[in-house]
Amino acid sequence: MTGRGEVTTGPLAVGQFVSMIKRTLVQEPLFQRQTIKGEVSQWKQYPSGHTYFTLRDHDGQISAVIWKGRCTIHPSIKEGSVVVVTASLDVYVKRGNIQLNVERIEPANTLGAMEEARRQLVERLRLEGELDRPRKRPPFTPKHILIITGAGSAALADMHRLIENRWPGLRRTVIEVLVQGERATEEIVRGLALSRRLATPECAAQRGEPPVDLVIVGRGGGAPEDLWAFNLEPVVRAILASPIPVVSAVGHESDLLVSDLVADVRASTPSNAIERCVPVKAELEQWQDELNERLNHAMIRTFGDARRRLVNLHARLKVAPLAGINAGKRSMLTINSRLDRAVEATFARERTRIAGLEAALESIHPQRVLERGYAMTQTEQGDVVTNVNMLEVGQHYSLHFVDGTAQTTVTEIHTTEE
Amino acid sequence: MSENEPTYNEAAQRLEAIVAALERGGMGLDETLKLYEEGAALLKICQQELMSAEGRLNELRLEDLEHEFQAQDAQASD
Repeated sequence: MTGRGEVTTGPLAVGQFVSMIKRTLVQEPLFQRQTIKGEVSQWKQYPSGHTYFTLRDHDGQISAVIWKGRCTIHPSIKEGSVVVVTASLDVYVKRGNIQLNVERIEPANTLGAMEEARRQLVERLRLEGELDRPRKRPPFTPKHILIITGAGSAALADMHRLIENRWPGLRRTVIEVLVQGERATEEIVRGLALSRRLATPECAAQRGEPPVDLVIVGRGGGAPEDLWAFNLEPVVRAILASPIPVVSAVGHESDLLVSDLVADVRASTPSNAIERCVPVKAELEQWQDELNERLNHAMIRTFGDARRRLVNLHARLKVAPLAGINAGKRSMLTINSRLDRAVEATFARERTRIAGLEAALESIHPQRVLERGYAMTQTEQGDVVTNVNMLEVGQHYSLHFVDGTAQTTVTEIHTTEE
Repeated sequence: MSENEPTYNEAAQRLEAIVAALERGGMGLDETLKLYEEGAALLKICQQELMSAEGRLNELRLEDLEHEFQAQDAQASD
């Protein structure tokens, strides 16, 4: 904008004003690529190749233009035809007119027939149980994604951008196909056929890549007819025949195609397909780092606990001998006193016994015998004579009496005869 | 062994369980060490899985890929 354009106090130039209207209307998504049904009037095909007409019904009308070569015009369309157009609102600033730029025009009856065919296909699939079939689960971390979509399309660019955001360098193969027009159905089906081959280990080995483990088939938004290939039986059957999970990613959120009904994953848009099937690598890495840390931490803690227990035990062990000695000391003391007591008792017993012995000894002392009137004979060498054989005639012996001794000589010996 | 190799998700779930068990504690050292080793091995599988997903970006025309396969088939049948 120029500096003058920012001044809001003065009057606006009319051209500026109409340009503002144009900017506002063109920015409104509701008015862009809208599908509109109406009757054709004032149908004029100019030599320049452009076609002008008015689209109308009982309640309103609007000018419309089909720029040269912009779309194919069904030969049956003429004044009074009921048509369905895909068109965007535009303002012709010079004349202050609003008009529709038509990107696609179809006789309404064609569309009606297509709708009917679609309804019948869904009904057949329902009867066959295909709508309730168990879905294949896409891999948690796909290693090789196959994308089947239009070459250089905005949808493909979006998918690439999202993949790079979420998982930089994720392995992927794109098969470029036509996604609208008469050949779209056939090309999509051929693309899906190739995906089956790319999913085989043999083919993967030959190409030096892991097998394709996820297929995303789709395209960006458009008029219902543009998306129609995804409502047709060949595409639907090809999706059903896939040995690997297929994501149907067609159009905008509001578009529901038959391919969505049978695919393993229904993504509302191509971008949504990526969001649902490609994890954020950084998040997984962070999760792994966290788990690694927790794993190590738990390990260190467990071993730390064990080590602390060991240290603790060791410390207790070091003081344990002292405690043992003390306990030993204590028991020794007990034993000592018990020993003392025992020894004392023993002594007392011994003392009593000795006293008894003394008394006994006392009673058998020779003196006691002598006192009773006996005498003890001793040789000159001091031996006590206990029998007659110890005596010899002529020898001297001492006789001990209780009150003295006497010397004697043996004159005769008589042995007691038995 | 590749048949028994856990998927990323299986490995991840087992790993979560192991870490939770280790964090609860109360196991013997032998068991702790065993779980730790299993956890470390699972973590390695997960890390390798992430790395193995990186690769080329191939953008192929439908016809080109079909021709490539046709040529391979012709060679194989010779």
